[in-house]
Amino acid sequence: MAVASLSRALRSLSLSWPALLPTQTAGQMVLRAQTSSMFLTCSGWRGFLTTSCLEQNRNAWKQREKYTVRPIGMKKTGGRDHSGRVRTHGIGGGHKQRYRWIDFQRLRYEPGREEQTFEERVMEVRYDPCRSAEIALVAGGKRKRWIIATENMQVGDLIKTSGTIGRMAVSAKEGDSFPLGALPVGTLVNNLELYPGKGATYIRAAGTSGVLLRKVSGTAIVQLPSKQQIQVIETCMATVGRVSNIDHNKRIIGKAGRNRWLGIRPSSGLWKRKGGWAGRKIKPLPPMKSYINLPLVSAN
Amino acid sequence: MFKETAQLFKAAAPLLAKTTLWKEVRISSTHGGSSVHGHRYFNVTCSLCAKVPPRKKPRVKVDIPGLERITYGDRMHYVPGLAKPSFPTWVRDWNDPSHYYAPKEEEMPLHKEKSCFIFNQRTNALEGVRQALWLTKSKLTNGLPDQVLSLAENEANQIENQDERVQNAIRHARFWDTTEERPSRDTFCVALLRSLIHLCGSLQVSHPGLGRRILAEKYSLAATWSRGEDLFQVRGQNGLLLNSMAPLPVLAGKEEVQSTADHVLETFYPISPTIDLQSVQVYEEQNHTGFKEDYPYPHAHTLFLLEAGDTPVTLLPEQLRAKMIMFAFGNALARAHTLHGTKPGVLEQPIVVQSVATNGRMFQYVVFQLNTTDLQADEGVKNQVWVENDQLLYDFAKVRPLIKKRVVQIPPGLSGYKPETFQKFLSLYLHGAV
Repeated sequence: MAVASLSRALRSLSLSWPALLPTQTAGQMVLRAQTSSMFLTCSGWRGFLTTSCLEQNRNAWKQREKYTVRPIGMKKTGGRDHSGRVRTHGIGGGHKQRYRWIDFQRLRYEPGREEQTFEERVMEVRYDPCRSAEIALVAGGKRKRWIIATENMQVGDLIKTSGTIGRMAVSAKEGDSFPLGALPVGTLVNNLELYPGKGATYIRAAGTSGVLLRKVSGTAIVQLPSKQQIQVIETCMATVGRVSNIDHNKRIIGKAGRNRWLGIRPSSGLWKRKGGWAGRKIKPLPPMKSYINLPLVSAN
Repeated sequence: MFKETAQLFKAAAPLLAKTTLWKEVRISSTHGGSSVHGHRYFNVTCSLCAKVPPRKKPRVKVDIPGLERITYGDRMHYVPGLAKPSFPTWVRDWNDPSHYYAPKEEEMPLHKEKSCFIFNQRTNALEGVRQALWLTKSKLTNGLPDQVLSLAENEANQIENQDERVQNAIRHARFWDTTEERPSRDTFCVALLRSLIHLCGSLQVSHPGLGRRILAEKYSLAATWSRGEDLFQVRGQNGLLLNSMAPLPVLAGKEEVQSTADHVLETFYPISPTIDLQSVQVYEEQNHTGFKEDYPYPHAHTLFLLEAGDTPVTLLPEQLRAKMIMFAFGNALARAHTLHGTKPGVLEQPIVVQSVATNGRMFQYVVFQLNTTDLQADEGVKNQVWVENDQLLYDFAKVRPLIKKRVVQIPPGLSGYKPETFQKFLSLYLHGAV
């Protein structure tokens, strides 16, 4: 492998620069010639390499395409990015974790049974090391998948997923998933989609829930747990109820070691004067964010 | 940055686009890629060889019908601006077996439109026994039939010093059969089962019928049937099979068999009965018992399954019982197909197959009676299954005693031996030869 990469390096060795695009201007050509001559004369750079690029398989564990229920072994990054430097401080170590692939797109039809309301049975509700909420293994038809469990989900429950919006609002049962347009105003929702079909990205943490505030001409306005309000298309799916593990914020870590087990490294001990970001802020709510992408209305 | 380069940039700034500039100035790797990670350039500053994010996947070449790509293939050399030609895949003109490319799934000769669901030795059925009952169209009865249980209670059928010898067999498997502190499950499970079978076989002196049997392992079973709109198969190696020259006697009489027609099969909405079964498009509808036609022991008597933890799949007792039912059914169905052909119908002479599964301590017993091969519809005569769940042979076999607060909770050695479990084992073994 090393020999192959070295021979590849030697093969591409050439003193002539790669061919220029016809769109380049004369000025660029001048610059290129000068810089190329500079590199060849000033740098004294030998044209071949004696080391080969290390191919890292850091992200190979994430490249699986087919969905599986089996937990996948994970590689921890320690807060480092692709360059190897620390991008996010305070991450590293901790217990080994295996990733259970959660299906956030709740309205995923089975091949062959499209556009039909379907039910699934909860087979298992268990702890997930990768998130604060608990996860549930649900089985329906011929497939099993992991989803985020809601507050009172028990083994043996039947949960419904439907994509149709009727004229009357459905009576929302906890754990069921409907488009926002089908839910009554005032329901607690979680696992909210911003764009229809994209998969849930908001309200997934333990104990959180959003409130459906209003439904207005094909869009729905939801209040997120941070009291921010957003406007999304009414066909976006959301699950009814609060996310499981509601006492997550009341837990006491107890000791520094427990934080280290969770993979949280200590913060820098250097005293730094707090700037404008610190302290209690009382400010009005930010304006409502809209994720509708309406077509641009031209003045003509 | 070099001073000269900076001056040049300022001079040529109005003529140049900003974005193209930085890409040209940066040192490009000789691989043709943009990653210079791991390389060392001694005379150049870091701003010229800084790390860039790895390149994303190259864009996909889209073939637009009607639009012809102008490639440099005709010119026989690279021409900038023309597309890279795509040549047809080179195929060797002779068949080299060490360089064989398998055809795509759709082009394989056995590819079929209809998919087949296969139950193999790695299947872990989600719904367990309920799923196996639906797939085999059977009625469940808890507890072994009396005809079978009464066999071991008869004193003439018991082994000399039965309990003591069984306990010695357990101690041998669990404690003595190793040079290490304790034997692992995959050794003691096998050793225990073999010892118990050997013990039962010692009755051959008084029961000559026991001699007309043979043990076989690593045989591959194949049985096909269709249920509803789907096709199902049981395939593969399953376990240790005790074959005999004479078939097992029928357990349920004709009236009982007819009365099973009133029983309604249990469904488990919303889960489909085909969950966890391997779905294949390339298959062959085979029906064979795993032995040749002139095999002297054609009737499958008992199937012994081991759950010793050495396979990739660990089965819970419920799933293990499902596996037993499916493979007993598969053996019976394959035998029925070889005797009467594949045409579905009610059997005049039902076929009985037994199954025993163990994990070294807990035993599961299943007796399966195949009454009908007409499994398409949900109505009609059903097959019958008798199941004994979770029979412990002994409570504890501890190498070191469990002592809590200086009081012995569980003594070392074998404790809590239950003779009834071995009695059932023996009665299943003797069934058909007494």
